[in-house]
Amino acid sequence: MNLPLLSALFATFALTLYVMLDGFDLGVGALLLIQPDEKQRDRMVDAIMPTWDGNETWLIMAGVSLLAAFPIAYGVLLPAFYLPLIAMLLALGLRGVSFEFRYQVDRHRCLWDIAFSVGSIVAALAQGLIVGGLIQGVAVAEGQRFAGSVFDVFRPFPLLTALSVLGGYSVLGAGWLHLKATGPLRAFSERMLRLTTPIFVALAAAVCVVATMIQPGVRAAWFKYEVPLALIAGLFLVISGVLMRGIGRRPDGRPFFLGLALFALGVAGLGITIFPNIVPFRISLWAAASSTLSHVFLLIGGAIVTPVVLAYSVFAYRVFRGKTPAEGWEV
Amino acid sequence: MNLDPAMLARIQFAFTVSFHIIFPTISIGLAMFLAIIEGLWLKTRDPLYLQIYRFWLGIFAMAFGVGVVTGIVLSFEFGLSFARFGQLAGPAIGPMIGLEVLTSFFLEAGFLGIMLFGLHRVGPKLHFFATCMVALGTLLSASWILSANSWMQTPDGIALENGHLIVTDWLKVIVNPSWLYRLPHMLTAAYITGSFLVSGVGAWYLLKGKHESFGRKTVSMGTAFATVLIAGQVFLGDILYGTMLRHQPAKMQAAEGFWEKQSQSPAPYYWFIIPDQENQRNRVAIGMPYLGSIWLTHSLNGRVEGLKNTARDHQPSMGLVFYGFRVMYGIALIMFGLCVASLWLRWQRRLFTTRWFLRALVVMAPSGVIATLGGWYVAETGRQPWVIYGILRTVDAVSPVPAGALLSTLIAFVGVYTLFMTAFLIFAGHLIRRGPEASPAQTEASGSVKNAFRPQVMIGAERSL
Repeated sequence: MNLPLLSALFATFALTLYVMLDGFDLGVGALLLIQPDEKQRDRMVDAIMPTWDGNETWLIMAGVSLLAAFPIAYGVLLPAFYLPLIAMLLALGLRGVSFEFRYQVDRHRCLWDIAFSVGSIVAALAQGLIVGGLIQGVAVAEGQRFAGSVFDVFRPFPLLTALSVLGGYSVLGAGWLHLKATGPLRAFSERMLRLTTPIFVALAAAVCVVATMIQPGVRAAWFKYEVPLALIAGLFLVISGVLMRGIGRRPDGRPFFLGLALFALGVAGLGITIFPNIVPFRISLWAAASSTLSHVFLLIGGAIVTPVVLAYSVFAYRVFRGKTPAEGWEV
Repeated sequence: MNLDPAMLARIQFAFTVSFHIIFPTISIGLAMFLAIIEGLWLKTRDPLYLQIYRFWLGIFAMAFGVGVVTGIVLSFEFGLSFARFGQLAGPAIGPMIGLEVLTSFFLEAGFLGIMLFGLHRVGPKLHFFATCMVALGTLLSASWILSANSWMQTPDGIALENGHLIVTDWLKVIVNPSWLYRLPHMLTAAYITGSFLVSGVGAWYLLKGKHESFGRKTVSMGTAFATVLIAGQVFLGDILYGTMLRHQPAKMQAAEGFWEKQSQSPAPYYWFIIPDQENQRNRVAIGMPYLGSIWLTHSLNGRVEGLKNTARDHQPSMGLVFYGFRVMYGIALIMFGLCVASLWLRWQRRLFTTRWFLRALVVMAPSGVIATLGGWYVAETGRQPWVIYGILRTVDAVSPVPAGALLSTLIAFVGVYTLFMTAFLIFAGHLIRRGPEASPAQTEASGSVKNAFRPQVMIGAERSL
């Protein structure tokens, strides 16, 4: 059996769930900055409050899967993305703390909201920088050592993907509010969706085009997997169109779920482009893989426990289905 | 100034891991204490137990939250600052940490919400079950992490092929030679920490003449737990000492402060040294005569082995190991003395009125945390220069990250963590000053940074019924 491939699928699964789930609550956090009304901001935070914490656990799961199953890639990629990763960790921590403290204070709540929002934006940008850095390419020596500079990631292309990820998360966040909010906040979500969706699509398209120009590996992938990649690009555009048309209409969840579909397509496109590598265009899954028994242990553990975690998460989302109560969850 | 990346990476890791361990130590101890208190409440239905439970739940939630947020950072730091370590050790420690995430994060995330807010929603029995599951989650988490760390101390169950580490036997990796002793040692340390924390706060109330019955109950229970636990810890510590002497002689040589291959006879027990690693000697050494021979060799004139028995390039830095050990051991001795005093005072029925004793308890409230940190300094600095003992040296594990980047992120970590600590202390101090009677029926969301909002699950469940 091809154990590294299974482990890669498991890690991709965790990463996809993370991007989709934390994506929307980071997006809501980012939109907090342009919501002038404090009462509305309270409602926005209420909308993500019950589930955001579980969402973040998938990030740890993805990171640790990489360590367990592809230690060589872990040891190349983490130093390569040292600065954005540390910025992301600190931003996520600060965001968690602000989440907490905004409820502790009445007078300076807006300061905590700024910290919350800036934390969300920095985390989103950092993740986008990492994706861009991956596509741009990481310098590797001796097949297992990062040989570039930690500043390599701050180049135009990763900055473009960073903006694109922030835009995408904002679409997800606005979509979530479209689903959960009523009254003026719902109107806000519609305005935001109309604003962010075209920006996101334009940025994503720019990322695709620029990627083929700066990275021969991406060009090669387009020749090799032209049909699936063209299909993904086409679907992306069609779904974006349907999303735009669904704004302000029933069902309320349509823009959000279509936004998730856009992200799923994005991850699939990225996966197809870099497969069978794990450090794009440099190190393959098998060259970076851990020992056989390490995969076995991780996969068996994952196979047994993941369904339980998923069942719990689905339950948590189910009990909070419907509109966020205007007076908050506590009442 | 010329900055050494290896040193900066080590300082950064030391800072973030030291900061982190404070909070799990508190939350492991308090989770067990809360489970016991709630069990007693269910059994006796004495409302005092419920009040104690609610009061400590608030502080537990805060410690837990900070522990989670700072723990996430560590799982990335293995690769950020020590890439070669991640690459080599990943096959062994990666799956263990993966299983930690899956098993204990799940238990904790699933039941912490019910524990924090769910009492009136699920009823006392199911709530007690939730408390026990959270306590079990902290215990499982500690078990996986201690297993991973003990594997770094005494690696087993692996083979090296072409510079790659291959796991050959998972049982040997997980149940490695030091894990069996280090796990109970750490758990007991956390439980002692909880006991002193609880009795310290109770003693403060008694000194202030406030919340009398709360103070009496918690001082009584805290000192009773501490007495039993410290007796066990002496025993566990002694076995662990013997185990580490066999596996990592250099660590224990450094811990005792002797340099010569054989110390003088009778050997003193040093409490203060100024080591001079360069010249392999102590500039100053002050100790109690005979005590070294008696404690370490169980004879009146036995000699103790010094650090020169270990080749110079394989020696840990004596100062860190020695003082880590002295802090841990010194505090343990004071704890032991206080526990003996508590037995005497209890017998004399003066446990709640002896002011010097209560004052001592207040001062000792955070002592468990400091002793645990001391112990971890022995474990981690004593393993140097190795990061995986005998397999990979720390300097060879460092990532190719420039010193400037390491320094700026270190400063950022110090700044942000200072904010976390300040907030934790302000909110914990606030809860303590306000007293147990003000504890709300439902603990506020205040404490937990990450999981405190989980309980809405229960509200939602009620609504959907």
